[in-house]
Amino acid sequence: MNLPAKLTAAELWVDGWAEGVDEYFERGWSDGLPVVPATEEAVCRFLEAAGHEPSDVIITEPVRRRTITAEKVAINAVLAGCRPEYMHVVLTALRAMGDPAFTLHGAITSTGGSATLVVVNGPIRQRLGFNSGTNVLGPGARANATVGRAIRLITLNCLGAQPGVLDKSTQGHPGKYSYCIAENEDENPWQPLHVERGFPPETSTVTVFAAEAPHNVLTHYGETADAILLTLADTMASLGSFSGGQSFVVLAPEHVKILARDGWTKPRIKAELYARARRTRADLKRAGKLAGAVEPGDDSAWVHRGNDPEDIHIVVAGGGAGGHSAFIPSWSRYRNSLAVTREIPS
Amino acid sequence: MRIKILDPTIAAERADSVVAKRVADLDGKILGLLSNSKVNGDHLLDLVHQRLVARYRIEGVVRMTKTSASRVADGAMLDALARDCDVVVTAIGD
Repeated sequence: MNLPAKLTAAELWVDGWAEGVDEYFERGWSDGLPVVPATEEAVCRFLEAAGHEPSDVIITEPVRRRTITAEKVAINAVLAGCRPEYMHVVLTALRAMGDPAFTLHGAITSTGGSATLVVVNGPIRQRLGFNSGTNVLGPGARANATVGRAIRLITLNCLGAQPGVLDKSTQGHPGKYSYCIAENEDENPWQPLHVERGFPPETSTVTVFAAEAPHNVLTHYGETADAILLTLADTMASLGSFSGGQSFVVLAPEHVKILARDGWTKPRIKAELYARARRTRADLKRAGKLAGAVEPGDDSAWVHRGNDPEDIHIVVAGGGAGGHSAFIPSWSRYRNSLAVTREIPS
Repeated sequence: MRIKILDPTIAAERADSVVAKRVADLDGKILGLLSNSKVNGDHLLDLVHQRLVARYRIEGVVRMTKTSASRVADGAMLDALARDCDVVVTAIGD
């Protein structure tokens, strides 16, 4: 293939492949794991797959005034171990993160230590081999692992979110290595996430969400909808992550079957979780989640998680066996960062 | 075999700016106080306010709060501060 001689990234000569891997470590251009050295040939293949010129601007982050071009996305996608055809997903996720509603700079630098949860919907899941089943939030699938990792490497290398420099996460969480799932639409009796958010079923989308780590919601013996909703709502109401922010609820297929069997729809589940995931003002004050002393009436004044039921996003994902769902709270405690969905160009 | 590898990083864009004209003192001036909206940022600005009014004959005070600590102040807010104030103090509290 012809190399478009328009790459502008600084070039480094190293003695071989292993030395290249070491060079990225030594320069602080890695997430702590070995990267795939980005050669000119590889980067050009990635750009060609994405249909982009190297200089095409993907997003501009306004706080630090960083403009990220397709060339830099391609370099970081190579480093992450992506295949060229994953570029559309990485680019779409990055564009979604550039939406003002996501508040990119805050999300990647805050002490809150969020990671970008990337949720993939639509036919591209099968085409690129995204995992939506067993171990969906864990390792194993190249598409999930490397797309999530590419997003992290872009924040490190292009947005300056290096730990201790601009990324001031107090603790961070393991999802900051990679945090990408696909929805198990085959096990979903309701509308999948992207259709619910206004996209046709045949489109493929990426939804991004500045997120805390997943909280396990285990109900092995609760084979009723009420047991599942009680446990989910209790997890969502736990003080540690309680806030006015949005939520993702990743329902395991086993839980979905029980909920659907008992006649629950997505809107009804959301309404029920919103109603139950609440604390009193007194609780929030005692826990230091609200300022001020407990006053008369605070013990009977309720505060819900999120603004309304639509702040609870439900995704079906996970393996067929096991009563393990997950609650994923937002990084934002208020409305500073919201989930954003974008269509992946085909 | 030697191989050529590429730099994945980018630097912030350079933006030239000029430091605003300094004021000699705050007598007769309008003081702007811009909070980042985080808890305790307001206390920090209250203290600054108290100190400055004790020391100078400040003509007036304009207080504003960013809608989100995580976002840049919007253009209308910055324009209003520039238009109405002689000096502005901003505080990052948490």
